Amino acid sequence: MASLSLSSVRKNYGALPVIKGVDLSIEHGEFVVFVGPSGCGKSTLLRMIAGLEEITSGKLLIGSKLCNDMEPRDRGIAMVFQSYALYPHLSVYDNVGFGLKLAKTPKDVRDRKIREAARVLKMEHLLDRKPGQLSGGQRQRVAIGRAIVRQPEVFLFDEPLSNLDAALRVDMRMEIAKLHKELGATMIYVTHDQVEAMTLADKIVVLDGGVVQQVGAPIELYQRPANLFVAGFIGSPKMNFTPVRVDAVNGNRVAVSGEDVINLTVEADPSNVSPGDTMTLGVRPHDLAPNQAGSIVARVGLVERLGNETIVSLELVSGTNWLVVLDGDRPLARGETLALGADPAKAILFDAAGKSVTRRS
Amino acid sequence: MRSRASLLGGAIALLVSLVVFVVPFAFIVLMAFKDRRQANLLDFSWPNGVHLWDNLVTVVTTRNWMLVTAFINSTILTVVSVTLLVLLGAMVGFVLSRRKTRWNPLAEFLILSGLMIPPAVVPTIWLLQGLQLFGTLSGMILIEVAYNLPFTIILYRAFIATIPRDLDEAAIIDGGRPMDIFFKVILPLLWPVTVTNIVVQSVGIFNDFTNPLYYLPGNANATVQLTLYNFQSQFNTAYNLLFTNIALITIPPLIVFLFFNRQIVAGMTAGAVKG
Repeated sequence: MASLSLSSVRKNYGALPVIKGVDLSIEHGEFVVFVGPSGCGKSTLLRMIAGLEEITSGKLLIGSKLCNDMEPRDRGIAMVFQSYALYPHLSVYDNVGFGLKLAKTPKDVRDRKIREAARVLKMEHLLDRKPGQLSGGQRQRVAIGRAIVRQPEVFLFDEPLSNLDAALRVDMRMEIAKLHKELGATMIYVTHDQVEAMTLADKIVVLDGGVVQQVGAPIELYQRPANLFVAGFIGSPKMNFTPVRVDAVNGNRVAVSGEDVINLTVEADPSNVSPGDTMTLGVRPHDLAPNQAGSIVARVGLVERLGNETIVSLELVSGTNWLVVLDGDRPLARGETLALGADPAKAILFDAAGKSVTRRS
Repeated sequence: MRSRASLLGGAIALLVSLVVFVVPFAFIVLMAFKDRRQANLLDFSWPNGVHLWDNLVTVVTTRNWMLVTAFINSTILTVVSVTLLVLLGAMVGFVLSRRKTRWNPLAEFLILSGLMIPPAVVPTIWLLQGLQLFGTLSGMILIEVAYNLPFTIILYRAFIATIPRDLDEAAIIDGGRPMDIFFKVILPLLWPVTVTNIVVQSVGIFNDFTNPLYYLPGNANATVQLTLYNFQSQFNTAYNLLFTNIALITIPPLIVFLFFNRQIVAGMTAGAVKG
């Protein structure tokens, strides 16, 4: 079976560390998404799994085989590139069959596999064309077809949808999700688009600065981010933050206040919190609601009325800017004062090191 | 006014190219039709009679059919040298543009010196004699490859730099070994530059006069350009035969040019600008 595991995998370019010790285990059939800002090392990590970059230290196991120094062709992987990387001089048929031809697969087997892949991807009518005669979405299909015929244990996708337009991206996203269900293969997918990450993944790996910030199911990352980075990266619009001080700890309820917050109660793990601690409070824009007795008072800035919801930018007492998303249409005027309450079960506290002290099951 | 000026400019350009390119060619053809007496006048006149066939037979059969031997030698020399040049040039260009090591600057310097430093004839002959290659066709082929390799490499390298690396990597993932990647992915994509190289180098090597003169002595080794010496000497030159010979050996390069003309420029400028 094709599980995959990385243990303390590192990558240095000369003296510059790019991947700083990644531990990760991926089960057979899982859809794992690597997500993070540009330059976080997610593509490098994928290329190390593919064998296109050397692993400086650590272990890469695919199935039960140690693959650190194995040639890419022997790893049982297939990769789809951001630029599609189709061979321009070959027809779609030959593009898809290129790997099989190199492996000297008999002609009838090859033909059957190519036609099967074309059927799965609904591109039988394109087989005689050259890549230059295809649209972006069709090229992407061919690139995926080329991966499918190899019958790999692990599929690797390197930002496969970022060259497509928005509508096509949604379609292809669904196709890839469907493909994953049909093939049941392990897939690793790199993207910087968190919508792709949230919708496709069984498991998201958030990377920043060459370090894994958090691994978990999409909803878990949204509801229980492990640290400030994940909290700020997952979710759109971004989570709002402000510094607070702990006033009192009462069971798993913590009362905090600060320049912008007057006596707000938040659920937290009491073992990590003691009165007097300085912390960061994080509240998602969707978890704030107007409340006359609310503990956050702010001045209304820009108001974006979208009809089904209203996105309001707020200026807090300390000058910090927050966003709040309110249901329905709210005719708010610029400069108005708004009192807001935060759901204690959804607000999150982060300690001085940026780690979440809120633990919920 | 403007159109008249440009018309005039065009006419002048046409006239100049007529004088430079067509007149000498017409002169060659006219001379090939003349008999010896009229040809010796070396004037631009209409032939008195049609003596082309006599001239052809004499030229081809002279010195025991030397021209035929020469055509065979030149063809072997050109085909083998150009094949080697294309393969080696593309391979070196591929490695130089894909693999960055600290030896690259040295390799590039050596390639440029191949273009800049004039070849030294006597030491080369000495070396060829040491290798038992002097006066052999194989030796001559190596000389042509060595002299023309830098130019070929430079053309190829610029073009390969425009082929995305993703293609190499896709081929690696597909299970390609380095030779597969080169022959099945890179080389087919280099076709425009390959055509340029084939034309430029084959015409150059086929028409090469001085190198075969130095490195390939002997009647059995004659190349087409050296057959010109059959009909001229200090005191006695048969101009009608000389020009018939010239006309004959001009035909192959002319055909190559006619066929590939359009693609040459495309290959020359390909890779100059990122497309």
